[in-house]
Amino acid sequence: MTNQSHLFDRLAHTHKPDCVLSLEGPRPQAVPAPDELAATLGSDAIAKYAGACRPIYEDLRRVIGQVSGLLILAQLTAKRDILDLPELQNCEIRLKQAKDRLSLLSTPRGTLEHRAQLEAALSFCLAAMKTFTDIRGREALDPAIDLTGKQIERAYVHLQAASSEKAGLAMVDFSQACCCGHR
Amino acid sequence: MADYSIWVLEYCYVPEYHKSGVIYGAHNQGYVKLPYCYVVIKGRDHIAMVDVGYNDKEYGKTLGDRFGVENWRDPKTVLAEVGIKPEDVDTCFITHAHFDHFGNVEDFPNAKFYIQEREISKWVWTMSLPDRMRWMMVAVDPGDIVRGVGLARDKRLVTIDGAMEDVLPGIDLHAAPDSHTWGSMWVTVRNDGKKDSDDTWVLAGDLAYQFDNLKSSGAVVDVEEMYTPVGLAVGSQANLILATEEMMSQVGYEARRVIPIHEERLNDTFPSRTSKEGLRVTEICLADGETSKVS
Repeated sequence: MTNQSHLFDRLAHTHKPDCVLSLEGPRPQAVPAPDELAATLGSDAIAKYAGACRPIYEDLRRVIGQVSGLLILAQLTAKRDILDLPELQNCEIRLKQAKDRLSLLSTPRGTLEHRAQLEAALSFCLAAMKTFTDIRGREALDPAIDLTGKQIERAYVHLQAASSEKAGLAMVDFSQACCCGHR
Repeated sequence: MADYSIWVLEYCYVPEYHKSGVIYGAHNQGYVKLPYCYVVIKGRDHIAMVDVGYNDKEYGKTLGDRFGVENWRDPKTVLAEVGIKPEDVDTCFITHAHFDHFGNVEDFPNAKFYIQEREISKWVWTMSLPDRMRWMMVAVDPGDIVRGVGLARDKRLVTIDGAMEDVLPGIDLHAAPDSHTWGSMWVTVRNDGKKDSDDTWVLAGDLAYQFDNLKSSGAVVDVEEMYTPVGLAVGSQANLILATEEMMSQVGYEARRVIPIHEERLNDTFPSRTSKEGLRVTEICLADGETSKVS
């Protein structure tokens, strides 16, 4: 390998400090969604898996949204009392619920990669929650807020990779949206 | 004398949308075309937008397959119709956090974004509620809030609490809490720059979808005209009516000066043309020295 190709590889694999992929962990990647697997692996086990994924997905979706919203408020108001809001406590409860549910999830053949994305989303949510709640004891808010932001963005990327509209794993609830009632 | 040019740019549409979504209570009254648009305001050395649409790569297939949304085009293509590039935009006013208004911030790399603080804080609150109350979270993408974190980190997100005067010279923001969404707002352009302007335009966001929300038959209560709110409100239709009254009072009750961006008939009221992509370009007004983009 030439020096030039070494340099190319290094540049290609090095992320800017603000890139979410600069965090250690499994790569977010497109994985076969439950509805796609159903076509090749049979529908019963996969449908059951997709059904069991739905509450986990919903928990993680909400945790990501809540932590992000709280982070915005913390950044723009520079107030620590964000950490005392009941919304944050509810978010911690939901995160624990996601962890418990995911630990009980049965994984039929072909769904391991999909589950891995959910696991990664959970682990980055847990990391983000820890960084965020540790702000209490810190002098400077900005570094912890920046890291939380990066962790929650990474969790979002993994959850997005595990999304499947047909399997009911969707980021946006369009059911009552302004586009919902077309003929 | 006019300081700003204002254009309403269509970026996709639903050909047949149920009328009861547009007009509260209009059940079994058929379908209307629902354009999706954003607004460009250009003048006083600024290029601002009211809302930024959504990014097709996230939900385009779902919206197309399940909801009949057609002909989505990216901001580069849409803004080119009025000679603007997305990177020229320096200010974006986000009227509310629904995916089709706040869903494409990444295409505007040099813009500062303004949104009501209540829109964020109440969204966090609704997400903390039990699953059985999920309806209140409708049409908001957590991904947009995630991207908001990045904007805040880069000092490109400003949350405001209530009204704000002269955000740009002659441009004000007004809050409509607990109406279409928890922290909706509208944008008022005083186009002569005066406090008590004779040339005011209101950009209504989703506080009004169409002109019928501002002006429909009042025969039922023996008045000539009355307001009828939009169908979707996570707050209340009462608050939509109160916001409508305030918007209308700002323009001296001249309904054409309140611009509803989901209105298909804007081209009956304002000079318009259809782009080669089949999307409408509507010119609300022109600043002194600006050339028409529709003639």
